[in-house]
Amino acid sequence: MNELKNNDEFLNEEITPEEEQALKQLQEKREEKRHMGLKAKSTISNTIIYIILGIISVIWLIPFVFIVLQSFRVENTWMVGYVLPKQWGFDNYIRLFKETSFPRWFLNTFIMGLIVSVVQTVMVLSMSYTLSRLRFKGRKFLMNFMLVLGMFPGFLTMIVLYRILSDMHLIGANAIWGCILVYVASSGMGYYISKGFFDTIPRSLDEAARIDGASRLQIFYKIIMPLAKPIVIYTILTAFMAPWGDFVFARYISNFTSSGMNVAAGLYAWLEKDMINQMYTTFCAGGVIVSIPITILFLCLQKYYVEGVTGGAVKG
Amino acid sequence: MEKLNDLQYLRLSKWKKFLYKLCMFFVGIPVFFKNIGIKIGRFFKNIVLRIKDLFVDLFLTFKNGDYKTRVSYLIFGFGNITRGQVFRGLFFFLFEVLFIFYMIFWGGGWLSKLGTLGTQGPTTEWVDVGGIDVEKTVYHDDSFKILLYGILTIFFIIAFIYTWRINIKQNKIAQEILATGKKLKSGKDDIHSLIDDQFHKTLLALPITGIIIFTVLPIFFMIIIAFTNYDKTHNGISNNLFSWVGFENFNQLVNVGSSSNFSATFGEILGWTLMWAFFATFTNYFLGMLVAIMINKKGIKMKKVWRTILVLTIAIPQFVSLLYVSKLFATDGIVNGILIKLKWIEQPIRFWEDKWLARLMVILINIWIGIPYLMLIATGILMNIPQDLYESARIDGANAWQQYMKITLPYMLFVTGPYLLTSFIGNINNFNVIYLLTTGGPNNPNSSTAGGSAGYTDLLITWLFKITTNDSNYKIAAVIGIMVFVVVAVISLIVYNIMPSTKNEEDFS
Amino acid sequence: MATLQLINVKKVYDNKVTAVDNFNLDVKDKEFIVFVGPSGCGKSTTLRMIAGLEDISGGKILIDGEVVNDLQPKDRGIAMVFQNYALYPHMTVFENMAFSLRLKRPKLKEEEIYEKVTAAAEVLGITDYLTRKPRALSGGQRQRVAIGRAMVRDSKVFLMDEPLSNLDAKLRNQMRAEIILLRQKINSTFIYVTHDQTEAMTLGDRIVIMKDGFIQQVGTPQEVFDKPRNLFVASFIGAPQMNFFKAELVREGNDYYVKTCSKTIKVDGEKGKELLNNDVKSQKITLGVRPEHMVLSNDPSKAIDLVVTVNEMMGSEIHIHGTTIDNPAVIVRIPTITLSGTNYTSQFTPGKNIQVSFESKIMHFFDENGVNILYPGE
Repeated sequence: MNELKNNDEFLNEEITPEEEQALKQLQEKREEKRHMGLKAKSTISNTIIYIILGIISVIWLIPFVFIVLQSFRVENTWMVGYVLPKQWGFDNYIRLFKETSFPRWFLNTFIMGLIVSVVQTVMVLSMSYTLSRLRFKGRKFLMNFMLVLGMFPGFLTMIVLYRILSDMHLIGANAIWGCILVYVASSGMGYYISKGFFDTIPRSLDEAARIDGASRLQIFYKIIMPLAKPIVIYTILTAFMAPWGDFVFARYISNFTSSGMNVAAGLYAWLEKDMINQMYTTFCAGGVIVSIPITILFLCLQKYYVEGVTGGAVKG
Repeated sequence: MEKLNDLQYLRLSKWKKFLYKLCMFFVGIPVFFKNIGIKIGRFFKNIVLRIKDLFVDLFLTFKNGDYKTRVSYLIFGFGNITRGQVFRGLFFFLFEVLFIFYMIFWGGGWLSKLGTLGTQGPTTEWVDVGGIDVEKTVYHDDSFKILLYGILTIFFIIAFIYTWRINIKQNKIAQEILATGKKLKSGKDDIHSLIDDQFHKTLLALPITGIIIFTVLPIFFMIIIAFTNYDKTHNGISNNLFSWVGFENFNQLVNVGSSSNFSATFGEILGWTLMWAFFATFTNYFLGMLVAIMINKKGIKMKKVWRTILVLTIAIPQFVSLLYVSKLFATDGIVNGILIKLKWIEQPIRFWEDKWLARLMVILINIWIGIPYLMLIATGILMNIPQDLYESARIDGANAWQQYMKITLPYMLFVTGPYLLTSFIGNINNFNVIYLLTTGGPNNPNSSTAGGSAGYTDLLITWLFKITTNDSNYKIAAVIGIMVFVVVAVISLIVYNIMPSTKNEEDFS
Repeated sequence: MATLQLINVKKVYDNKVTAVDNFNLDVKDKEFIVFVGPSGCGKSTTLRMIAGLEDISGGKILIDGEVVNDLQPKDRGIAMVFQNYALYPHMTVFENMAFSLRLKRPKLKEEEIYEKVTAAAEVLGITDYLTRKPRALSGGQRQRVAIGRAMVRDSKVFLMDEPLSNLDAKLRNQMRAEIILLRQKINSTFIYVTHDQTEAMTLGDRIVIMKDGFIQQVGTPQEVFDKPRNLFVASFIGAPQMNFFKAELVREGNDYYVKTCSKTIKVDGEKGKELLNNDVKSQKITLGVRPEHMVLSNDPSKAIDLVVTVNEMMGSEIHIHGTTIDNPAVIVRIPTITLSGTNYTSQFTPGKNIQVSFESKIMHFFDENGVNILYPGE
């Protein structure tokens, strides 16, 4: 967002913004040296903070360490009183890929992720762009209406959607298509963060372009979209990640047909009372496999995520 | 209790100031409701006026219209076509034709059954299959379908009336334009405007259609269901058909002494939902902020490392992390196993089987999940607080705690106020955490028989889910869904109106 | 050829707020018109209505005799320079300037586009920056690019919305001079919006002074300076602001006297004759005298008493703030060259009594409603 900010800040014209930044950094370094004197006092509080942070980190990481450890455990039953496996092995992973439907689920979820990420991005961006920059009668009404609509719990719609999908034969084994349809159809309602982003682009750019002769469509793809890269990436990534975590809807729509499930629905079933003894360690393995790509994606996404939420939070 | 002016207020002692504010708050409540009443009244008055204007306009357009306009009242698009706008005219005309077709062949049928939601239940008949007589159940009316497509038909009718109205308006405007001697827009103009001044229609068409069919329709449907007796025994197909029962379901809700205990159960769950939302939101908020401040403090190294570690809990899908943690603390789980082994306890702690222990556990584990979010947001905002505020405070002699209370906290509250609200409401509907950890358990033995089994950590929304999937008691689910909406709407309204950010927007700029 | 007419133009917003009303203006070809006034007076709104960025609630706007109310901005033959320049951040300077040319149908050849852009760049002195992006430019350079972008369109009417507001004082002076030079090179009619009366006075052929959505006065800089129609215009134009005294205009026979601050001063010369010609009656008035028109006086019969409150040493002038009976906040500008001695400020210490007088020629008379008695306008 640097480019846009500097378009509006005119401190000293003849110094370019980059030179100014260099100056600022120099000043900051000088200040830091001055503060070395206060070191002693803050060292104590810093040590305390380090200790606290250390404890927090351990607590935060323990469950994941456990999962990884358990995933390597060869002995199977789940009721054990220890963490470190007595026997280490890749058995669970092998079983995961060879004997279960996990590969199928993974594939399903991956396909869902791909399709949803594209279609949902289109829907969300269309909606947020329109609400942000285009003015038309009924705009306020539309936003209020969606606000109210969002106050209803999502599960209410489940049975109706199931019926509609079933009439379209998109359940059971075809559940992934049904799920995709449901995810993207109403995705326009999630415009809030993207709209907040679009709102930060100065309106005068649109006006200048209109005077220059561009139609609204041209403004959309020539001017605004090139500036919207961060939010586009954010939307695509969040859309991709969504199907991976949905264990409620996917389960319901798939009607317990294994070939139609996504990873969440599938793995969830493994920890039910009837399966847990057998599948506990395999569940751990599955959990690890699923978590790795999602975590990597999220870490890349983190910067945009914060911008999106604080941008929305700041603007209210 | 009279209102004090500024100087008089400033004179009061701290305690008295607080009392004064409290009094003013309570005094303000009836005024608040009165204002809302006025707003609602005005809203309805507006609607009535609008409708009146509409009829007047329809009448006048007909009276002042030429023959093209008048025929258009019956035949859509006639005015458009005869005035040269063939493209538009055909569009309207086709719509009318399609609609009439639909009504004759399907719509009419569905509508007629809407009143009763079907009268013919399934029957068993003897059917000839390959020479042998076999008993088969034959399905006739399907209440669900009737209701669903009946509602759809009503939507169509509304769309039809709306289109008719636009059609009339087109004629009126066209007449006016032609009267001043200008030309009407051609088909080519129309297409061109779709990418220019009507671009919003082009962009919104698909998302809004999706929302209408996949959100508006189902929600509308479910609201209607609350007025039927659709459940396991009346599921519309294999057993009996379901039918209208008016407000009976709602009566159960308010009828405190009813035998099915519905009202009491609802009350208990609502109470816990609000309690949970409150604790979940605020523990995360303040602790998250604290952690963010700690990490952000000058002199702390490896900031990125600390943050990344915490962020992991967001990154890893909840059905993995929460489900796993839930099993960790099971009565026969690892934690108990280790504790027993270390001889710290003799009997396993029944984390999930004691009412209040379970409730405590969900709040604590929710902190594990929730702090990273807040930490991220808080970090982003902390970096934006202008440093000169702190410098000025230091010169004035404020220590770290005072700086936190007087500068950091107010600033954060202002900026994230709206977020707190959405977070609170989000926690009211925080399905994942509760369901994955406890599925709502431990079980509440007094829970309503009318409403399906509820547990002590159940939120309204998890209860709703269980009723839908386990008991198929859709009518009650619908009622609960509506109540969730009411709760959320009321809270939103109140908070939104009191919230500082909506009032003092200039304070922090 | 580009004349501009605004006839009874009016702008009302959805929430019933009237931003502009009763706006009538006739702009000749190649004229440089400045809309000036305080914040919220409607000047930008009017400019945007001319541009087509705001709908017109009432009245007509004609460019070159053609009504443009319903025309899109791009079809009106206008170009605009925005206050914050609105340069496309992701495009180079060249692309920014070429953008509108590329959108023209039928398509322009690349060489033509190149020619036009480089020609404009040369006029503005930005040829060296053509491959840079806006964020690598300073404020003054960006402003030139914004002007360049508007220049290449060869438009009939050139609109500028407070283009100098974002620059510091020194640069502003410099750019002002450049805009005057620019005007000679561009063949368009200019409409320029600003809140700074100095810019208005130096740049405009005619100035339109606005307040609260209404035109207060239209005239050349000299006209609005010498003959302000009402108190607002009188106070807005000229810095420091004109001094207003509660006073009484007394007619005795064919002579006129101004009574203020317990003194009676005869209105003589041309001014007296004008009053007579217009048959002005005795009445309570507000007397206006500009700070630069007041001088130190030795003649008590013609001067009013002033008690000094502060003085400001400006270098070649000293500004004396003081109170009089009928005006508690008077400012007098005295060129230091007219003073004796070397320490000027010590001659006007707070609390000192001095006497100032002024000629009839530069007196301004405003009636009870604030309207100029001699030059009320239409």
